[in-house]
Amino acid sequence: MVCLARFARLVIGTGVLLLLISAASPSGAQQVNPTASSVKEQQLLQELNRIQGRVSIPDQRSGVLEQPAGREWREFRNVTLHWIGGIAILGMLAALIIFYLSRGMVRLQSGRSGRTLVRFSSFERFVHWMTATCFIILALSGLNITFGRTLLLPLMGHEAFSEWSQWAKYAHNYLSFPFTIGVVLIFLMWLAGNLPNKVDVAWLKRGGGIVGHDHPPAYRFNAGQKAIYWVVVIGGGLVAATGYELMFPFYLSGIEGMQLAQVVHATAAMLFMAVMLAHIYIGTIGMEGAFEAMGSGTVDVNWAREHHSLWLEEENARTGANDARTQPSAAE
Amino acid sequence: MLIKRTQQRSEIASNGSIAAGLSRQRSGFDRRTFLRRSGLAGGALAALSTLPPGSVRTAKAAMAGPLTSGATVRKSICTHCSVGCTVTAEVLNGVWIGQEPSWDSPINRGSHCAKGASVRELVHSERRLRYPMKLVDGQWTRVSWDTAINEIGDKLFEIRGRSGPDSVYWLGSAKMTNEGSYLFRKLGAFWGTNNTDHQARICHSTTVTGVANTWGYGAMTNSYNDIRNAKTQMIMGGNPAEAHPVSLQHLLEGKELQRANFIVIDPRLTRTAAHATEYVRMRPGTDIPVLYGIMWHILQNGWEDKEFIRQRVYGFDDLRKEVEKWNPEEVERVSGIPGEQLKRVAKMFATEKPSTLIWAMGQTQKTVGTANVRASCILLLMTGNVGGPGMGANIFRGHDNVQGATDVGLDIVTLPFYYGLAEGAWKHWARVWEVDYDFLKSRFDSKQLMEAPGIPLTRWFEAATLPKEQVAQKDNVRAVFVQGHASNSITRVPESLNGLKALELLVIADPHPTTWASLAVEAGRKNGVYILPVATQFECKGSRVASNRSLQWGEQIVKPIFESKDDLEVIYLMAKKCGLADQMFKNIKVENNLPEAEDVLREMNRGSWSTGYCGQSPERLKAHMKNQAKFDLLTMRAPKDDPEVGGDYYGLPWPCWGSPEVRHPGTPLLYNTNLAVMDGGGTFRPRFGIEREEKLPDGTTRKVSLLADGSYSKGSEITDGYPEFTLASLKKLGWDKDLSEAEMATITRINSANPDAVSWSLDLSGGIQRVALKHGCVPYGNGKARMNAFGLPDPIPVHREPIYTPRVDLVAKYPTLPDAKQFRMPNIGFSVQKAAVEKGIAKQFPLILSSGRLVEYEGGGEETRTNPWLAELQQDMFIEINPTDAADRGIKDGGWVWVTGAENNSRARMKALVTERVGKGVAWMPFHFGGWFAGKDLRGNYPKGTDPIVLGESANTITTYGYDPATGMQEPKVTLCQIAAA
Amino acid sequence: MARMKFLCDADRCIECNACVTACKNEHEVPWGINRRRVVTINDGKPGERSVSMACMHCTDAPCAAVCPVNCIYTTADGVVLHSKDLCIGCGYCFYACPFGAPQYPKVGNFGSRGKMDKCTFCAGGPEADGSKEEYEKYGANRLAEGKLPLCAEMCSTKSLLAGDGEIIAQIYKERVMKRGYGSGAWGWKTAYRETIES
Repeated sequence: MVCLARFARLVIGTGVLLLLISAASPSGAQQVNPTASSVKEQQLLQELNRIQGRVSIPDQRSGVLEQPAGREWREFRNVTLHWIGGIAILGMLAALIIFYLSRGMVRLQSGRSGRTLVRFSSFERFVHWMTATCFIILALSGLNITFGRTLLLPLMGHEAFSEWSQWAKYAHNYLSFPFTIGVVLIFLMWLAGNLPNKVDVAWLKRGGGIVGHDHPPAYRFNAGQKAIYWVVVIGGGLVAATGYELMFPFYLSGIEGMQLAQVVHATAAMLFMAVMLAHIYIGTIGMEGAFEAMGSGTVDVNWAREHHSLWLEEENARTGANDARTQPSAAE
Repeated sequence: MLIKRTQQRSEIASNGSIAAGLSRQRSGFDRRTFLRRSGLAGGALAALSTLPPGSVRTAKAAMAGPLTSGATVRKSICTHCSVGCTVTAEVLNGVWIGQEPSWDSPINRGSHCAKGASVRELVHSERRLRYPMKLVDGQWTRVSWDTAINEIGDKLFEIRGRSGPDSVYWLGSAKMTNEGSYLFRKLGAFWGTNNTDHQARICHSTTVTGVANTWGYGAMTNSYNDIRNAKTQMIMGGNPAEAHPVSLQHLLEGKELQRANFIVIDPRLTRTAAHATEYVRMRPGTDIPVLYGIMWHILQNGWEDKEFIRQRVYGFDDLRKEVEKWNPEEVERVSGIPGEQLKRVAKMFATEKPSTLIWAMGQTQKTVGTANVRASCILLLMTGNVGGPGMGANIFRGHDNVQGATDVGLDIVTLPFYYGLAEGAWKHWARVWEVDYDFLKSRFDSKQLMEAPGIPLTRWFEAATLPKEQVAQKDNVRAVFVQGHASNSITRVPESLNGLKALELLVIADPHPTTWASLAVEAGRKNGVYILPVATQFECKGSRVASNRSLQWGEQIVKPIFESKDDLEVIYLMAKKCGLADQMFKNIKVENNLPEAEDVLREMNRGSWSTGYCGQSPERLKAHMKNQAKFDLLTMRAPKDDPEVGGDYYGLPWPCWGSPEVRHPGTPLLYNTNLAVMDGGGTFRPRFGIEREEKLPDGTTRKVSLLADGSYSKGSEITDGYPEFTLASLKKLGWDKDLSEAEMATITRINSANPDAVSWSLDLSGGIQRVALKHGCVPYGNGKARMNAFGLPDPIPVHREPIYTPRVDLVAKYPTLPDAKQFRMPNIGFSVQKAAVEKGIAKQFPLILSSGRLVEYEGGGEETRTNPWLAELQQDMFIEINPTDAADRGIKDGGWVWVTGAENNSRARMKALVTERVGKGVAWMPFHFGGWFAGKDLRGNYPKGTDPIVLGESANTITTYGYDPATGMQEPKVTLCQIAAA
Repeated sequence: MARMKFLCDADRCIECNACVTACKNEHEVPWGINRRRVVTINDGKPGERSVSMACMHCTDAPCAAVCPVNCIYTTADGVVLHSKDLCIGCGYCFYACPFGAPQYPKVGNFGSRGKMDKCTFCAGGPEADGSKEEYEKYGANRLAEGKLPLCAEMCSTKSLLAGDGEIIAQIYKERVMKRGYGSGAWGWKTAYRETIES
């Protein structure tokens, strides 16, 4: 990434400057002509792409006189990010629509057994929905910062748009806390079931059974779900970390660090959103019987057999051959 | 909404040209104004005559905005340094609502520094003193003005009765107007003591003495503006970029337009040095070796101005002998500067003329301060660089009116205007004041003390604490009445705490409580301290003298706020309480206890013949302020045909001879023989006799004339040197016929026994001056400047190592002067230096400690540290240390350190500023901080709500013993210290 | 059309901070906000130069480009102003600005940072010229009174120039020509994509 390279250059450049400083000996100061040797702006910029000096005020960050790196960041924010976001989100939406139109909802092939199995406890569901709600609000408010000026401002007018954006910003900042807690809990809660194994390889080789009516075996979480899990954990973690860096300016880094943080934050968030669209699709209209897992917390045994055969076996083995823990579904 | 402005602007956009758009949209903002406000009038462009400055200046004042409409504009003078910047204030309903650039002032031309641009806040400060207070059992308690004045007066009488008038120390201020300073000195005289002093003691007392002893008057010879003419500017012992920022406008523009050499000789690479064409780093305290080192090259190469020396200089041969000792090897050994560099400097200074030498406290604040400035003057004389444009000793003074306060004699060694303390001087002032000489004499303990210099303010605490018999007056100092002086700007703060404890009475009259209050509480005082709220100078009117000797009249911008009072009123109230008011204010109008400043100035005019303060009537000064725009930037002169200020130099720089009616234009450049006296010309003043008996090696003696030889000011009817004018000399010349009958009558009245002895400086009629001027002669005579200033402790400057020097190896060869008694006090510098060497102090404290100014603060700094706009910029006391020294000690930039000093186990906690500004082995501190002591925050010691925003350790907690023998100057510029990470 | 610009002649700047306090004085800028500051490069070393810096009122201002609510605008004089009513305090202008000009009244997180504040070239804000509301939000509007920014007007050494870009560039050029040296018009290339040949 451009910014990353820039950042690296900065680090190296600062090092060079320090070396230069330490090399200059004070006794050498006697024979010079400061006017002739005065520092020149363009030279400094070429060397470091940044000019920094001493200020007397405690706010040491104001010692950065000039850093044209903001230009690259501007390019990213105003152009690159629009493309990334547009392609990721619209592309995913388009893909899902095409998929839905061509494939339709994945049905339970064997129909409902009428017996159900507990898939997610109420605590797990609470965590999921808390995180999900926060995510949606964060996503929308985040999209507003990126696309609102182009899409909403002309419709809403300056004042209304600013008012809405102000609230959206507050929501974005404050909901980040429950969201982050959710991500941490998800990580801890479901870590055991999401460690990759050999079954995942087979599952992936068979394309998850998306094409045709195949049902590769899977434990509690199949490779696809594991991918979602890791996207949430890593993506969520990244977005949270960079978000906090931006929310608490200068605690962790200077401006260039914040520019980089914003790049990571926005890019990760856009991709995160795209993945979450797919997740939402498959959890709702994409697959029959899937929503119940996070809705009521229970799934039909047939659903489990078709999509998580190994998990069903495990559950059966754990609770006895009679499917003792399975219970009549409400519908029965 | 956004759209509004966009629309508004697009209207302008549509009509094309800049000027049209601007002038239509904003009345008054025509192209000229625009150019001027772009800084163009002040920039190089004007000088390049692309645009005549005149046309730029005539632009109309800009239109006031709706918020400022109805505001009146008042002009005063910035109180923060001696440049004399005009402050333009907008006042609405008695509130100072805004500051505007003072475009018309030929001195600052709109500019200010950080302090000048924020003076408005001083007046409005929430943290100013609001009412009088006294310390009652350790608590600050509000009292009324009447109570305060009565109690203070009663106590003073009690002390006077017991210990004599000299036991009261009257410490005045360079912050006061001329009128205030003059009245304060007059109060001291009427009270019966010469213990009256002010900041000049600790800034340029050595300059005043050293320079006056060289060529007559101890003041800046030229002006800030005139530096523009120099081809070589040498700044040695000054950092005007921070201490006198607006002066840099003249220095840097001069540097650019003349392509001048800009030499900075300083231990620090200061903000001034950053712009140098030649920066010379020297060891602190080696000014004389460096100057002699330069002179050595000059003499070696024959670059000296032989004709100038022959005509106008005395004692050159004596000097040569001393200079010859300072060959390049010895100079490098002592100062650390390589000979080649000094040769380069010498060549520039001596051959690329005119050259000026600029200095400030870097030279003066030393035990050898007087000798330092003498050596500087000698360099100027040797190269013929005195008495012309672009030349001279440009001595940058510190406070806005330190020159004036010195001139009006707020000092321990003289009555107003350098008349001295001899009987003749007292009699002169008794005549001016229209009081009986015997009455004045009766106020003193003795005639001997009446004519003996007082105690320098640098020694006040010792005067209070030393055994009584060591203080050469009736008793110790028992009371200090301080009006406008910081205590933390005086060295040896730990010992001043003993003084604060020993006093019976301390009165602090100031807009702020100052460190006098916080340290008095720290010293353990529970009672006997009064604080009187005094107005800032922006709430008073009167004249101030800038460093270039120009007088400027400041208007009252707003009335004194809260219960604060004008300086003049405080002085009047004290005089009244002491029963002296009727005598003191005999010829001065007083209304509601407030003496009229104009009347005070008129009284000064009537008595100040010696210094030429006689022509600057309040009316003339006010006319100058009104017509500021008419004065030329370079010559500072108004066009001759102007009805009000025609031909005058701006501010009538003294000497402005004769009565106001003579209309002398002032003297912009001292000792300039190229101009007629009535155009501001002059000669060196023969102040030390007209001839001197010299001993020759063979034991015989010869008489050498001290009068100029063939040099005289333009148009002089006497075409050679001549002594000062008296009635006798007028008679000899046959010019006494020119005296009017009234003048003759006055002269006869002054000395009826021997009218012939009445001189130009004693003649209250001004007749002798008028006649001398009429014949193109300078009233004080035409003498030679002295390279050999016989009478001073070191007639030819001699290098002497600082009391605390890291170069103990040099002390044997260059020791300080022997112990002696000066100014009623013992000066035991020699013993202290000897003990320091014997005890190995330099090993324990290996770093040289120097001190100086920051641009944001001034003096003791209480006023400026209370101003949030300034305080924000410098929030912590710090010490500069070289990266090598810091690395050796594990000190990080911005980290806390303990600084320990060579005396009193002194220690101070502050932040480290690791920088190459200072060389290895040198540390530097700003001296404006106060309110901490030895690591302890004294915020609680201030009366509630009056503590400055920023507090910090005072540099003078660490500074040490050392006093110039000629003036009692302290030595804060060179001592030793050690630094350790805290 | 006048195109307002700032130019700091570093060979004249002495870090006296007059520009900083003049700004505070004129606009009653609170503690902690420095619309203008002076930075010293190579402090204490030969070649040291100080430069006074504030909002440069860039051509195609990056702050305006990235503002999510489009509250920053350029006047016909080329002055970059913003509306505090519309600002949401997100900090984006601050990431984009090459000169560190945008400031926020509260230290801490952007959630409570309040409205962005920066140098207005003494030209106020969107409210009526010289109105009380304008003064309270943005400070004085000197431009409307026919005056230039006070920082430049009060500069101790006439180092800081403010005014029409062409005129101040001309002044600077002539200065450099006359004196024979110049360390460049600091920030011009970044702000205006042009330099003054010296």
